[in-house]
Amino acid sequence: MDLSNKVLENTSSTNNEQTIALTITVNETKYELQTRPTEKLINILRDQLDFVGTKVSCGIGRCGACSILLDGELVNSCFIMAYQVNGKSITTIEGLGNVTIDEVQEAFLKEGGFQCGYCTSGMIMSVKNLLALNPAPSEEDIKEALAGNLCRCTGYGGIIRAVQSLANKKARF
Amino acid sequence: MKSNIRVKEDRVRPDGLAKVTGTLKYLTDLTFPNMLYGKILRSDYPHANILSINTEEAEKLPGVVAVITYKDVPGMNRFGIIVPDQPVLCEERVRYVGDAVAAVAATSLAIAEQALKLICVEYEELPIIDSPEKALQADAIKLHPAGNICHRSSYSNGNVATAFEACEAIVEETYELPRQLHGYMETEGGVIVPEEDGGITVYAATQHGFKDRFQLSRILGIPESMIRIVSSPIGGSFGGKDELNIQPYAALLALKTKCPVKIHNTRAESIRASLKRHPMKITAKTGVDSSGKILAHQVKIVADKGAYATLGPAVLDFAVEHAAGPYIIPNIETEGISVFTNNGVMGEFRGFGGNQITFALEGQMDRLADVLNLDPIELRRINLRNATDLGPLGHRIAPTDSAALILNEIEKLEIAPKHENSKWKRYGAGIAISMHGGGLGFGRLDSAGGRISLNKEGKVEISFGFEECGQGLVSVIENLVIEEIGCSKEDIQIVIGDTSVVPHSGSSTASRGTSIVWQSLQKMKEPFKKKILAHASTILSIPQEELYLGSKGVWKLGEEDGPVMSYKECAEVLLDGTVLTSFHFPVTPDAVNGGHFLYSFGGVKVEVEVDVLSGKVKVMSIDHVIAAGPVVSPNGFRGQIEGGGVMSLGYTLMEEVKMVDSRYATHNFDSYLMPNIVDVPFETNVYAIEELYEGDIYGPRGVGEIGTISITPAIVKAIHDAIGCWVTKLPISSEDILEKVCARGMLEWI
Repeated sequence: MDLSNKVLENTSSTNNEQTIALTITVNETKYELQTRPTEKLINILRDQLDFVGTKVSCGIGRCGACSILLDGELVNSCFIMAYQVNGKSITTIEGLGNVTIDEVQEAFLKEGGFQCGYCTSGMIMSVKNLLALNPAPSEEDIKEALAGNLCRCTGYGGIIRAVQSLANKKARF
Repeated sequence: MKSNIRVKEDRVRPDGLAKVTGTLKYLTDLTFPNMLYGKILRSDYPHANILSINTEEAEKLPGVVAVITYKDVPGMNRFGIIVPDQPVLCEERVRYVGDAVAAVAATSLAIAEQALKLICVEYEELPIIDSPEKALQADAIKLHPAGNICHRSSYSNGNVATAFEACEAIVEETYELPRQLHGYMETEGGVIVPEEDGGITVYAATQHGFKDRFQLSRILGIPESMIRIVSSPIGGSFGGKDELNIQPYAALLALKTKCPVKIHNTRAESIRASLKRHPMKITAKTGVDSSGKILAHQVKIVADKGAYATLGPAVLDFAVEHAAGPYIIPNIETEGISVFTNNGVMGEFRGFGGNQITFALEGQMDRLADVLNLDPIELRRINLRNATDLGPLGHRIAPTDSAALILNEIEKLEIAPKHENSKWKRYGAGIAISMHGGGLGFGRLDSAGGRISLNKEGKVEISFGFEECGQGLVSVIENLVIEEIGCSKEDIQIVIGDTSVVPHSGSSTASRGTSIVWQSLQKMKEPFKKKILAHASTILSIPQEELYLGSKGVWKLGEEDGPVMSYKECAEVLLDGTVLTSFHFPVTPDAVNGGHFLYSFGGVKVEVEVDVLSGKVKVMSIDHVIAAGPVVSPNGFRGQIEGGGVMSLGYTLMEEVKMVDSRYATHNFDSYLMPNIVDVPFETNVYAIEELYEGDIYGPRGVGEIGTISITPAIVKAIHDAIGCWVTKLPISSEDILEKVCARGMLEWI
């Protein structure tokens, strides 16, 4: 007999939940919206604001596909809830290459740092963050910084070459 | 040996800019006005009878627009690429925890999730068949009317029994391989939009749009002409999205609600329902004479099929075919059986049975070399096929000396480990080689083709019925069109992944895409050029022989300033600028079921570090050598080989979708570990042998799979080199290594 699908007593819980007024800045544009305080930031970005460049893959902070910068800090946006981001500023992949293509993106293009591209938004945010903190990272630094971003296509070869090409460029100056 | 693949042109992938800027819309990124969200209720049990399904409460929930069960399937309530044996929505029985029982469409995801909880399904549990061994017992409950054997496949030549008697040495081993997750980053999903004529447009990933169209037509009971499949771009597939997944449910819901319906699996839903690589148990007995010549090879393969067939029979056929790999073995007997269980569903996965069988074959080669005290490369050379030898099923194949070329290049690598052993760290190196058939094989409908035209916008429009899963097919197409037609990147418009506009090219699987693009262009380029040039010649009153196609338009010999006629001008008055081709993928002339004709070859050398204290194995370097004809797209080629290698590094060292009593013990990337950047060596080289055998007219071969094959046995050999023990079960666990280390007394204090 099945017991796990029994009718829940409160069927209207999804409708009555309280919402909060949320003000966030995404890629330098201010947004005001009404949302559940526990709504995941990734869902707000993708479903409410249509920033679908940020991807969702595992939903539990293991793959890094949803990586964004929150007040300049690299975070998994599937791990952040609405109430935590009020008044904060967010940069997504769409916020990087506005005028001229960012050098990280350029390096990924040149070195084959992606294939299907689904991890790429998050990966580029992480690389961006790494190079901002450490312009000439060693192999160990690269491993440490990108360990939270899974890529199933490249085997990381092209990503490593992209990052190293930027690190070498910095090292020369 | 360093990589020899160089980017010849400063050309980036056509989809590259959109991918690195996050502007590319994947099909799971799409939204439509009035779109509903769908969710699928899957079975609570691995094996049970359904006594009743009550959807009343779910239907009453505000925001729920439709709830469907098997009663709502107007056509055939089954799917499966070859044998449609899987219920779309189960009627009276479930056979795995991913079997669908009901589905809902609601105005929000949260309401759809809530609605699933309100569906009441009464089950009566049935005995669980959680292993092929159990399924094959005489009194086992039958999972399908014909029993528990999904497929048998075999090949034999000579007489192994008498040949074993003449052998100097015989090794026998059983190899066990795990259930692997494809692990594409984009889980299955998309949106299905109902159209005014009663048809639908499907925006969802697949590896063969026309096949999805065919299957959906059967399920929905509407003609194929009323179904349009938009199936590209895809966030990774590796075989895993070849079969239908969410499409039937979103389609049924869209037709019922007359609203677009989006379903996008969560990772947990994906792992529960999706295909996996077949776990196999392979027993191999191989005998040699004193010189190292293999006299007899006997192989038994038992594959865990899971609940439904999908392409499992073909996977088994492929494994049987590749049992002898690139070696000539006079007496061989290979028997495979693929067995239904309640362990999920196994199906198509990059490598297609080649990974499993090559682990066994190369493992046998290394064990024989060890027993005979022969160099592993020498033993392989003694048994290696020659260019014009028959293929592994005794069938004719395209002549190729690639096997020898691969082995020669591998031999040039410094095989000895570069690192020195320390007290707790031991180093070892290993090599392995493989051959891998491309295309679907003899006896399978393997239609290929393409279309090229000068369209009204003045673009050289090149079209194939393929999908871009990330493999870089769009780069292959672009590079080959530039090379064969002479136009520039800016002149080209690539049209793929939409059944309403593409020609039939067959599936984006089986390492066939690159082959087909090249072969199609060989057939189409002259007629196409002729059409354009004849037209330009008439208009310009210049003899056709003095004109050629180039960047931006038609050029005149000797006039280097620019085209004498732009493609746009040409298109404005051209009535028919289209050339189509349709052909069968090259196949062996011998009537051998599944036998391939075009093979790619690969070899790999790896170095490993074994930590004898923790039992951890780390791969220190990977050197690939690949012979698959000319490299069409350098970054794509290298990426496929490196990425395939790392996927198999994971398969060898860490990946297993664990099941307990036919239920998944692995639900997400916290308990299913795929290689991250820390797990891979920064030192990886890919060396391509580009020359084709004399007279080979088949051009570049696809390389989607070959990079995944050899690495597993090479790692296992390297571990043996490091600590003197053979591993037979994947993924290689620390416990297994530690037990072996202890058994050999390698730790000083024990």
